[in-house]
Amino acid sequence: MLLDKYWLALSACTLLLAAPAFAETPQEILDGYTTQAKSADPAFSAFDATRGELFFKNTHGNDWSCASCHTQNPAGAGKHAKTDKPIEALAPSANAERFTDPKKVEKWFKRNCGDVLDRECTALEKGDVLTYLLTIK
Amino acid sequence: MLQRVLVWDVPTRVFHWLLAVSFAGAYLTAESERYRDIHVALGYLMFGLLLFRLVWGFAGTAYARFSSFLYAPSAVVTYVRSLFSQQPQHHVGHNPAGGVAIFLLLLLGLLISVSGLGLYWELGDEDWWEELHEIAANLMLLVVLVHIAGVVVSSVLHKENLPRSMVTGYKTAHADQGIARPYAGLGLGMLGVVAVFLLVYLGGLTF
Repeated sequence: MLLDKYWLALSACTLLLAAPAFAETPQEILDGYTTQAKSADPAFSAFDATRGELFFKNTHGNDWSCASCHTQNPAGAGKHAKTDKPIEALAPSANAERFTDPKKVEKWFKRNCGDVLDRECTALEKGDVLTYLLTIK
Repeated sequence: MLQRVLVWDVPTRVFHWLLAVSFAGAYLTAESERYRDIHVALGYLMFGLLLFRLVWGFAGTAYARFSSFLYAPSAVVTYVRSLFSQQPQHHVGHNPAGGVAIFLLLLLGLLISVSGLGLYWELGDEDWWEELHEIAANLMLLVVLVHIAGVVVSSVLHKENLPRSMVTGYKTAHADQGIARPYAGLGLGMLGVVAVFLLVYLGGLTF
């Protein structure tokens, strides 16, 4: 079948393109934000879970907050605010895959910060949110 | 004798413009979750259109058939060279270079559709589908731009308005070069199905 050949070619191409994602722990990703936050502001001391929780649950000029999709309880399943599609739990305690793939983490922060804040998030904001999520048991 | 003859049947024209709209719309709604439902609806629409076109490429009227614009690579080179000569080759249907663009657009469109479904339905690795989805979409945008440039060049060289032909279906050619049936009913049926689909998917229309 001609179609089978396309699939074979397609699989071969994409296997070459998709570099294996380097697995990390949420703590290593958080350490990365610490480094970035320090270089952005030499006075930076530490991330703050309470600040992260407020950032997560409040809106920032738009109608959506992080909690609009991820809900007020990030340890439970979320729901897409537009499509109602289920979203897996965000807190690493409830979902071991979260914050282990740096590429995925940056992709979703970029997309979702765009929708919530109309800009990218700073390392301080990302670090605060991740610190908050890591406090959830 | 040259006269106004029908070249593009209605389903081919409906396919062409709906594909253009769905691709452009999906491209513009790709970056925000806010437009996720529109993006997905346009993706389903594009996939449906492409599946129809695969059938129509075998079952359609003369110039819509794949066999009418599947040229050997040497014919493509000869055609492009002729554009820089005193006598640029003229084709009533797709020219050889245009044919290449169409096969590429169909292939890339299918790759985009399948990878989009893989992403949205969560069939396997997200990163893998996403790389494919984005690379294919950007390549398709590139081919679309080349296609539009080619249409402009051909329109100027042959002093014929190709975009208008894709709207009206008519070109200036010999009487025996026209197609017999426009299949207007099928084309209008496509428009109807698409309208109902978008109203149900995006407008919340229920029966």
